[in-house]
Amino acid sequence: MQETKKTQQHISEIADFIARYLSYMLGAGVHTSRVVRNSKRLGTALGVDVSIHTSQKTATLSVSSADTPVHDTRVIDIPPFPISFEWNADLSALSWAALDDNLSLEAVRGKFEELVSKPKMNPFFVLLMASLANASFCRLFGGDIWAMLVTFTATMIGFFTRQHLMRRKVNHYIVFIVSAFVASLCASSALSLGIETAEIALATSVLFLVPGVPLINGIIDITDGHIQIGISRIVNAFMLIISMAIGMSITLILVKDSLL
Amino acid sequence: MIAVDIISDGIFAAVAAMGFGSISDPPVRAFPYIAILAAVGHAARYCLMTFLGVDIVSASLVAAVIIGTGSVWFGRRVFCPMTVLYIPALLPMVPGTYAYKTVFSLIMFFQEISSPTQGSEYLQAMIYNGAVSFSVLFTLGVGATIPVFLLRERANSMTRGSKFI
Repeated sequence: MQETKKTQQHISEIADFIARYLSYMLGAGVHTSRVVRNSKRLGTALGVDVSIHTSQKTATLSVSSADTPVHDTRVIDIPPFPISFEWNADLSALSWAALDDNLSLEAVRGKFEELVSKPKMNPFFVLLMASLANASFCRLFGGDIWAMLVTFTATMIGFFTRQHLMRRKVNHYIVFIVSAFVASLCASSALSLGIETAEIALATSVLFLVPGVPLINGIIDITDGHIQIGISRIVNAFMLIISMAIGMSITLILVKDSLL
Repeated sequence: MIAVDIISDGIFAAVAAMGFGSISDPPVRAFPYIAILAAVGHAARYCLMTFLGVDIVSASLVAAVIIGTGSVWFGRRVFCPMTVLYIPALLPMVPGTYAYKTVFSLIMFFQEISSPTQGSEYLQAMIYNGAVSFSVLFTLGVGATIPVFLLRERANSMTRGSKFI
């Protein structure tokens, strides 16, 4: 009796940890088959079998052990973290390290806490990089140097708005509408400045908002056979793109006479 | 002059990829490889479209396969999953102007809804631009995933033995 109780507690501790690991990975925008594979690998390393069912906002996790009839199932909420490729790389590596080095549960958990508390990239650096990126994007679409400058400034203001609203936990769709509106309105100044490629500046100014990661993740999930969650991701991304379009169309309606 | 065009195309694509990538918080060690992949992929698409007259969808497919295959090689070096390298590298190829024209034509269609000739012209422009943007996006995603199916073993053990955790 004492023995069963002990394994029960042990299995439940493992399930707690894998649940946490799973929710962090799904929350940070990792595609489903990788999350499932890594969690199963982590389970193998800790000596349990893991089965997972995922959807957009929750996941179901079932942990069992081959030697005992003990079984632990739970439903996990997926927290909405910002997308992090760093977590993707590090947490994947952690699952391999757990398997290859035979780490104990305490060791893996310690390493996990260490990895997820690493500092994020400086927001001002990201702001600068995104603005530079959008300016080069403008060049790729055939904009001249003045259009690039306008796009750079417009992106900087638009992205700053986005960062600021995100920090205040405003609804995602509203954040996208407002930032797209702000960025495109700033870029529409190119029209009154008489820049030749003003339309290109206007078109590229909002592209920093394109949710590229969920879109591509959705396609990867569908090709991997996780069709339900793949479609959820794509629908989610499309909603954001539509919000972006709404924000931009407000500007377009305001300035459409000078565009024709 | 042609060489300058191709190189500058690659450089701007690299800057765009690193910048858009930085929004998604990638590990710093991945940046040089994201830049190389984006530059090679975008320059390849540029060459195909300008010199060989290939259409944008097929050219994007080729470029995406190049980026996907490259990320299998580089991923092992910096212990990053392939997606960490290839998603940012694909972003400069997102068909931004087509997407913009889709939205613009839709709005103009609403504005001109009572005029049968102009209204339908805008609707046609919307379908044309929308079809291109959707197909390019889908092709990019699928193209970069093809190498995963061919090199499954290697692609799935990219982060094994990582020195960075």
